[in-house]
Amino acid sequence: MEERELISRVLAGDPSAERALYDAHVDRVFRLAFRMAGDMDRAQDYTQETFIRAFSRLETFRGDAALSTWLGSIAISVTLNGLRKVRRLNEREVGLDDFTPAGHTRPEAEPDLKTRLNQAIDDLPEGYRAVFVMHDVEGYTHEEIGASLGVHPGTSKAQLFRARARLRQALADFAKD
Amino acid sequence: MMDDRFDDLLRDSAREYNDPPETPREELWQRIVAAREAEKATPKEVLPFRRLRTIRAGRPLSWAAGIAAVLALGIGLGRMTVKRPASVATSAPVPSATAAPRVSGVAYRVATTEHLSQSEAFLTLFRASVRGKGNEQLASATARQLLATNRLLLDSPAGADARTRLLLQDLELVLAEIAQLSPQPKSRDLQLITEGMEQGGVLSRLRTAVPAGTSATQGAL
Repeated sequence: MEERELISRVLAGDPSAERALYDAHVDRVFRLAFRMAGDMDRAQDYTQETFIRAFSRLETFRGDAALSTWLGSIAISVTLNGLRKVRRLNEREVGLDDFTPAGHTRPEAEPDLKTRLNQAIDDLPEGYRAVFVMHDVEGYTHEEIGASLGVHPGTSKAQLFRARARLRQALADFAKD
Repeated sequence: MMDDRFDDLLRDSAREYNDPPETPREELWQRIVAAREAEKATPKEVLPFRRLRTIRAGRPLSWAAGIAAVLALGIGLGRMTVKRPASVATSAPVPSATAAPRVSGVAYRVATTEHLSQSEAFLTLFRASVRGKGNEQLASATARQLLATNRLLLDSPAGADARTRLLLQDLELVLAEIAQLSPQPKSRDLQLITEGMEQGGVLSRLRTAVPAGTSATQGAL
């Protein structure tokens, strides 16, 4: 079924079309949410919230970009917003330090490249991390990232360049080997 | 090692960063359907809180104190500016809370939005802690602070809106349960609290009530 027709049917209240739209996009949304959150519960929360928002605002989708890009913009917004809230609360509430923060679910391990890289990615500034995960990990194009984050594709490229530079710097001792 | 080769290695290794498991499609779909049904079941009046969420709080207790101060200011202004009925009994109607000045309405909305946002983040962390090793004693202390604010808001004009009131009442139950947890809670107690949260859709309703952040993508939403 063509995307436009699917959207029309969802807007007309067809439950099977809603499910079809969900099925077509849920993997991509969930993967992005999980990559950013590093936690099953939060990834599920953010995916759920993304689709609830998408269904309630589908009539505002103008079709300028692909539906997947529009969904991606909602998903990254919901995810970053959720992670910010969790981070703010963690910063404020010393007593909640024992709660597991996003992206820190790994056990203490030998600091091999993978472990150090994961830590370095976690430590990237939010914008850099989003661009790096979307481009280098999930394979989004700079055009898609730009549309999702509301920035120019050139900005996305620049942020990716800086993110990689920071990772290279953080892993400098591996780079020498 | 050359930069290009290292970049390739970075990309290859990064693919395993937070490697996602298989999407729990059915479970997620059921949750989405349930949340949307719960949303439809509540009154359609949407909280007009958009753009009011950029307020930042500071130290651990300062946001709670700030909310209380804003509430007190709102109530004070309301009392100062609302005309009281004459002492002689007349048929004149008693001014309602909505007759209070505009500033107090904004103050209540700001306070409510901040409170709902804090509660959502807290419950998200609490639920995560149930699976791991959380510090329930300190979670109880936080729940008590939130509970106090919740009760203030319920008794304020913020509670006049049917949807907000319903949400605050459901939130009160969850917060009260967490606040009353014993220092070494049984896993069954924790499970009951999280089940209650899921069944009432409290978290998803909180997320719906709290507007999106001020990220660059907000325009797309």
